[in-house]
Amino acid sequence: MKVMERVRESTVGRSIWRAPDRATERDRAAGHWANFFLHIYPVKMRRKEMTFRYTWFLGVASVVLFGSLVVSGIYLMFFYVPSPASAYGNIQNIQTQVAFGQYMRNVHRWSAHLMVLVVAAHMARVFYRGSYKSPKEFNWVIGVILLVLTLLLSFTGYLLPWDQLAYWAVTVGASMAGFVPLLGETIKGILIGGDTVGSATLLRFYVLHVAVLPTAVVILITIHLWRWRKDAMLDTGADDE
Amino acid sequence: MSEEIERREFLKKGWMAGAGLIGVAGIWTTWDVLQPGESAGFGGEVRTIPEEAVPQDGVVAVPAARAYLTSIDGEVVAVSETCPHLGCRVPWCESSGQFECPCHGSIFNRKGEAREGPTPRGMSRYPVQIIDGLVIVNTGEPEEGEPMGTAETIDEPKRGPSCAEGSH
Amino acid sequence: MSDREPVVVDGKRVLGVVPGTPPGGERKVLDEQEPVMVWPHLLVRHGVAALVVLVVVLLLALFFNAPLREIANPMDTPNPEKAPWYFAALQELLAHFHPMVAGVLVPTGIIIGLVALPYIDRNPRLSPRFRKVAVATFTVFMVVWIVLTLIGFMFRGPNWGWVWPWQDWYGEL
Repeated sequence: MKVMERVRESTVGRSIWRAPDRATERDRAAGHWANFFLHIYPVKMRRKEMTFRYTWFLGVASVVLFGSLVVSGIYLMFFYVPSPASAYGNIQNIQTQVAFGQYMRNVHRWSAHLMVLVVAAHMARVFYRGSYKSPKEFNWVIGVILLVLTLLLSFTGYLLPWDQLAYWAVTVGASMAGFVPLLGETIKGILIGGDTVGSATLLRFYVLHVAVLPTAVVILITIHLWRWRKDAMLDTGADDE
Repeated sequence: MSEEIERREFLKKGWMAGAGLIGVAGIWTTWDVLQPGESAGFGGEVRTIPEEAVPQDGVVAVPAARAYLTSIDGEVVAVSETCPHLGCRVPWCESSGQFECPCHGSIFNRKGEAREGPTPRGMSRYPVQIIDGLVIVNTGEPEEGEPMGTAETIDEPKRGPSCAEGSH
Repeated sequence: MSDREPVVVDGKRVLGVVPGTPPGGERKVLDEQEPVMVWPHLLVRHGVAALVVLVVVLLLALFFNAPLREIANPMDTPNPEKAPWYFAALQELLAHFHPMVAGVLVPTGIIIGLVALPYIDRNPRLSPRFRKVAVATFTVFMVVWIVLTLIGFMFRGPNWGWVWPWQDWYGEL
């Protein structure tokens, strides 16, 4: 503790933290403001909004699961080539040859399933709490988009092992898109890039899964949290029993 | 003074048109790039098996054409193996003498006509030519099957137990 | 650590000498509406929540291997063909309705409905007691969806026929 304080108050420490004093609440608020990582949080919140009962911490849980997916996903990317000729063999290789490969794949899979579950539960919790009401309407809309993106991420990842489970689930999913009025066949074509699920589909789903969709999710989560911070003090409890 | 305004208006319209143009170009090229490519083999005329090998009371699968061949009243019919419901491959059930889709339980007769299940129509058929005794399937021009509820044109009721073990 | 209010850890008050303010007074009843510093009050809780979630994932991964079936084979549709569990409800609907209805209209309708919810429900009250219609509608939708998901996930076998999960298990994760 002492050492940390000395570091904070040194010339270098002052240049990093900028508000090194921790004596008064005002100091600490200044330190909070000056911190990049803390700036997604409000400085103060009502005691009630911090309890398990209020949020069940489902939002935090989704972010943590997303982080776990990014880490395990990057690990898996080192050992995977998205082509029908190699994909399945790569997965077998990950499971049998790569250090911690099987474990990382498990982490990725279960994090993904849990994330779908937790995001859905988060939405239900926000509904019952009434936290979508004015002026937070648009943050709810962003949340719905994030739910859809979560499902798409999970579904695009489902194809990558190129096993029977993957192939036919995506065949059925793409056929569903084919029933959209007027545009059905076009959408299906763009989705799978050919007559049937094949190498073009695998590549498209891979790019969506590792680049396009995660970027979209990161941007939207940032906006989601920023708006959450702005609205943090709104629930005055006037309605509580 | 008025000249100033005009110039400002012109510049405003100018950059809006420019941005719009770039946007349209971007969407157009993206759209174009994403169009599905041609796949080799399938999608054109596929040479399959000799006409004599096509069965009268069953079907034979011809994987290259993603189809089944069967003979109805002495005429070879090519039925697409893809379920018109959601794209699963429909296997032929020997014991019941009908196509039974594993995905959602749609059932079709030997000609691919919809019999029961959630499928909106019968299985697609491909035009067939016989050249030098060999069946040529034109997979480029599928004909959609008739909608569910159309009367079947062959009289071949279910002839035995269905292949689905767990079904009722 | 020096809050103007006494810091409470495990129900016990931690006293400290705070420069400029008198030492902690009588024990205060915590005011739920009172704003307090996010660090440490919320961040510590979030840290614990994050650790719990991580431990759950790491343990799950330790004991259950991710499934890997045979290599994809366009010539052979597995029987039954199961969608991932979060689409099991849709798949169940697809077995009963025209694909245009079950595969397009229902999912689009659900998404549009969810997006529109805060603009349709303009009632400012928060407590469920004062928003019976909204709560009832959402609950019915959720129960129906969960039941459909469970049916599609656990109670469907070959050719999408009915099976009892304790007799045959076809669920896929």
